[in-house]
Amino acid sequence: MKEYSIIGKPTRNVDGVAKVTGEAVYAFDMTLPNMLYGKLLRSPHPHAKIISIDTSEAEKLSGVKAIITGKDTPGGKWGLWRRFPELCDQTALAMDKVRFIGEPVAAVAAVTEEIAHEALDLIAVEYEPLPAVFEPMEAIKDDAPLVHDDFENNINTTRHIEWGNVDEAFKNADYVREDRFSLSSQHHAPMEVHNALASYDKGSKRLTVWASTQSPYFLQLGLADALKMREGDIRVIKPHVGGGYGGKNSTMPDSVNAALLSMKTGRPVKIVFNREEEFTTTEHRTAMDIAIKIGLKKDGTLVAKEVKLITDGGAYTGLGATTLYLAGTFVTFPYKTPNYRYDGVRTYTNKMWSSSMRGFGSVPAVYAAEIQLDRAANDLGIDPLEIRRINAMTPGYSASGEYTVESCGILECIDKMGKRVKEKWNDLGEDEGIGFASFAYMSGGIFNWIDTPYAFSGAMVKVNIDGTVELFTQASDIGQGHNTVSVMICAEELGIGMEDIRLHPADTATTLADLGAWGSRETLMNGNAVRAAAAEIKKMLVAVARMKLGENIVYDLVAKNKRIYLELRPERGFSYYELVKDAIKQNDGEPLIGIGHYTPHNKGMISPAYGMGIQAVRAKVDRETGLIEMKDVLVVHDCGQPINPPAVRGQVEGSTQMGLGYGLCENMPTDNGLILNPSFVDYKLIRSRDMPTIELMEVPTYEPEGPFGAKEAAEATTSPGAPALANAVYHAVGAEFDSNVLKPEKVLNAIRAKEQKGKA
Amino acid sequence: MKNIMNNFEYFAPGSLEEALKLLSQYGEDECKIIAGGQSLIILLKQGLITPQYVIDIKGLSELDSISGNEKEGLKIGALTTHRAIEKSPLMQNAFCILAEMEQNVSSVETRNWGTIGGNIAHGDPSGDPAPVMLVLNAKYKLAGAKGERLVEAEDFTSGYFETDIGHDELLTEIQIPAPPPRTGAKFTKFSQLQGDYAIASAAVSMTLDADKKTCADIRIAMGSVAPAPMRAKKAEYLLRGKVITDDLLVEAGRMASEEASPTSDAEISEQYKRELVGTLVTRVGKEAFERAAMA
Repeated sequence: MKEYSIIGKPTRNVDGVAKVTGEAVYAFDMTLPNMLYGKLLRSPHPHAKIISIDTSEAEKLSGVKAIITGKDTPGGKWGLWRRFPELCDQTALAMDKVRFIGEPVAAVAAVTEEIAHEALDLIAVEYEPLPAVFEPMEAIKDDAPLVHDDFENNINTTRHIEWGNVDEAFKNADYVREDRFSLSSQHHAPMEVHNALASYDKGSKRLTVWASTQSPYFLQLGLADALKMREGDIRVIKPHVGGGYGGKNSTMPDSVNAALLSMKTGRPVKIVFNREEEFTTTEHRTAMDIAIKIGLKKDGTLVAKEVKLITDGGAYTGLGATTLYLAGTFVTFPYKTPNYRYDGVRTYTNKMWSSSMRGFGSVPAVYAAEIQLDRAANDLGIDPLEIRRINAMTPGYSASGEYTVESCGILECIDKMGKRVKEKWNDLGEDEGIGFASFAYMSGGIFNWIDTPYAFSGAMVKVNIDGTVELFTQASDIGQGHNTVSVMICAEELGIGMEDIRLHPADTATTLADLGAWGSRETLMNGNAVRAAAAEIKKMLVAVARMKLGENIVYDLVAKNKRIYLELRPERGFSYYELVKDAIKQNDGEPLIGIGHYTPHNKGMISPAYGMGIQAVRAKVDRETGLIEMKDVLVVHDCGQPINPPAVRGQVEGSTQMGLGYGLCENMPTDNGLILNPSFVDYKLIRSRDMPTIELMEVPTYEPEGPFGAKEAAEATTSPGAPALANAVYHAVGAEFDSNVLKPEKVLNAIRAKEQKGKA
Repeated sequence: MKNIMNNFEYFAPGSLEEALKLLSQYGEDECKIIAGGQSLIILLKQGLITPQYVIDIKGLSELDSISGNEKEGLKIGALTTHRAIEKSPLMQNAFCILAEMEQNVSSVETRNWGTIGGNIAHGDPSGDPAPVMLVLNAKYKLAGAKGERLVEAEDFTSGYFETDIGHDELLTEIQIPAPPPRTGAKFTKFSQLQGDYAIASAAVSMTLDADKKTCADIRIAMGSVAPAPMRAKKAEYLLRGKVITDDLLVEAGRMASEEASPTSDAEISEQYKRELVGTLVTRVGKEAFERAAMA
């Protein structure tokens, strides 16, 4: 593999010092002179007609500057599925009826947060409660109440995927099994809650919003649709963000109502959700029921797969419609699936809506698929690693044109796992078990349901006379470390130091559009754009160097160590700084500007590249109490060329924590649409004391579509924790599960059920 | 959907005397004492309580001390932090149960600020210290304008968040008597995640005869399975005077589980908690027995 100067070297985060010293500014920290505080009045009903709203008493309260209800808004509807206007169903405030507990019905701006809060208590809303529906299987019945009148049987959207000849393949299979799983929701629980600061200038009729978002561009589009304004009149700036995990893609009522209140008052308005609002009124992982059927040959070769699933969509669409596509795709990964049929249905229900979350779509789907594969291996008498090896994708594998996987290290990952497990865990204790699960995920989505006319990512590099570089990109660092990755890629391409580059990230007014940080797209897509922009500059400098050298055109020049020189005769070359000065002089004094873009082409509709690997969990189960003790975790990981290894490691650890939480303890129980555990006391997150040790082994491959061979890293690793844990518990004590969240009582019941079955 | 505290008048008395004076003035009204706030702040933010007056006694250093030894017993000031107890060199032998209990109270951050007295006076049936105090036969010293009195730990909590403290009284000290010879004590709490609230907890203190096999005396306490921490007196009766065997401890656990009166919540059934606490009593009983035999 090629030796890079910066890529692949452990590198400190460019904003690390600011973050650990507390100097980094988040939207949460920001205030502006004259700023007002906004609060939202929320519905106590899961489904109700709004008969009247009386704000007169609240308006009399001293310090209240504005109150708005649905009728005061421009009535713009928005959503992320902009190519399908009927799926753009969100509004700033409920117009005629409320569809979930917590839906905003009025917004207040006041001089203090306390006064805004007090004003909420003075707003009188008369509701006429309507029958509500909470479960997907109930929602699709003919007599179910309709969440949205225009959507029959509460079907929000459906998705069919098929290739090969599924029925024929099942007929010819030696072994067929069908399993059903019920997968629960999970909250992103970011450290920074949703919040936005909006400032409208009445003179210019332009709006500026600072928000905790994963995609300034998505927010700009959402605000434009909601406010019926031109995109260009809205500037979104993303300061540092304290975690997104998929929960900050949608435009939410914090930013829209802050904007509406600012437009009404002419003063900046800030809305910050409290933790209870964060848990109950922001998006969460999509819960779903999955029926999954596989057919195999006796030797374990997978010949057919059929999957049907129904998701609990909640009251609006968000990115939830995309869940169907991604679950239907990643339930096949990373295995060769010659015949496949999939049907997914997303239902509307009277609950807060579900949407994207880290490992979007794949986490519940992989849970079902990886547990089922283990059961099949068990029935057929095949080793769990062997059945995964037999079916593993190989480089260049194409699933009937739906997707093509170029770089693909899954086989090497499985082999390495086998060796390491033998070395490390050859001596299992009593009631201990090892569980495996493979994983794979995309390097950004190609599907363009947001309907952007722009390239998927853009970057601009400006070089000053002294060689310092200004790098402008709209890519979003939301804690994953992309700011550092951008600078590393730019520095590597130009052969300069990271200290030479100043990054100007995530401001829609000054940077070229980028779709944001979701689906692990920034490293590959924005990385390619940054590299292309830097390559433009390099080309200019190489031209100057070539002229000065007067060498034959066929000799290659390289940019490295702040010099540009002949590859074969490194002593013949010039300082980067000298070349910059020469280039600007020759260019009539114009600073050097390079622009780069990236849009995937000829890569199908899913993703240009896929990261993957396999995880193992060793767990011990207490047969008397049902308590699972997670001992340790092994991860073997193919993320192409790792750009910044400690960042990859951090992401693997974080996503493993989230995946194990999904398997072990995180859930969102509801009662008639009310979320019962909206606090960090009651919502159970795995903390550092409970985390098993994680051993990470990289199996580097070279992804031709990615910058310096890089691709998705460590979002896929959200998926394997839960099924690997369930498989470990099975191998420890024989308990089987058709759902996630393995709380002690459930485990104990499963152990007893197994014992009963053994006796019978 | 509050997550915003109501306004209240805040007092930070400089001495116990001053604190008691404030209590005699405001104690009858909507008044709360804050002694670290690790429990209280949550209730305030959730709007579950809306006091008019808050008296902050955290600064009363006279109540922040640990003294004594194994021969004379321990005196622990009410404002001693959980962390101070966890790390105290006085938590030796029979008293190590206190340090063991503290190690798993919430997080280090909470233990650094939260106080033992604040925890006990809060009267939460899932609190960790109370069952330990029950088996160590502790007494609580309450101070009021009219003087001081001692209450048995066992009589202190009467129900969910209900204690014997009068409106004008403060919990000032916890007194733990010296354990008899050949005594071993053990506590465990059960939660899926470490440091979380107990789904159930159990503490056992066992004293053996000179033969180191026969149970001379025993105290068994259970937490989180009744409106208040409780003794399992039938199970104690079963074991007292008997030669301890594994089977007998299993039987004691079964009895203790019958004595418990847990309730189902959104996620955990009454039956599970009941069975669980019996398992815990058996396990902890065995460890207490082994410790007593070694003591």
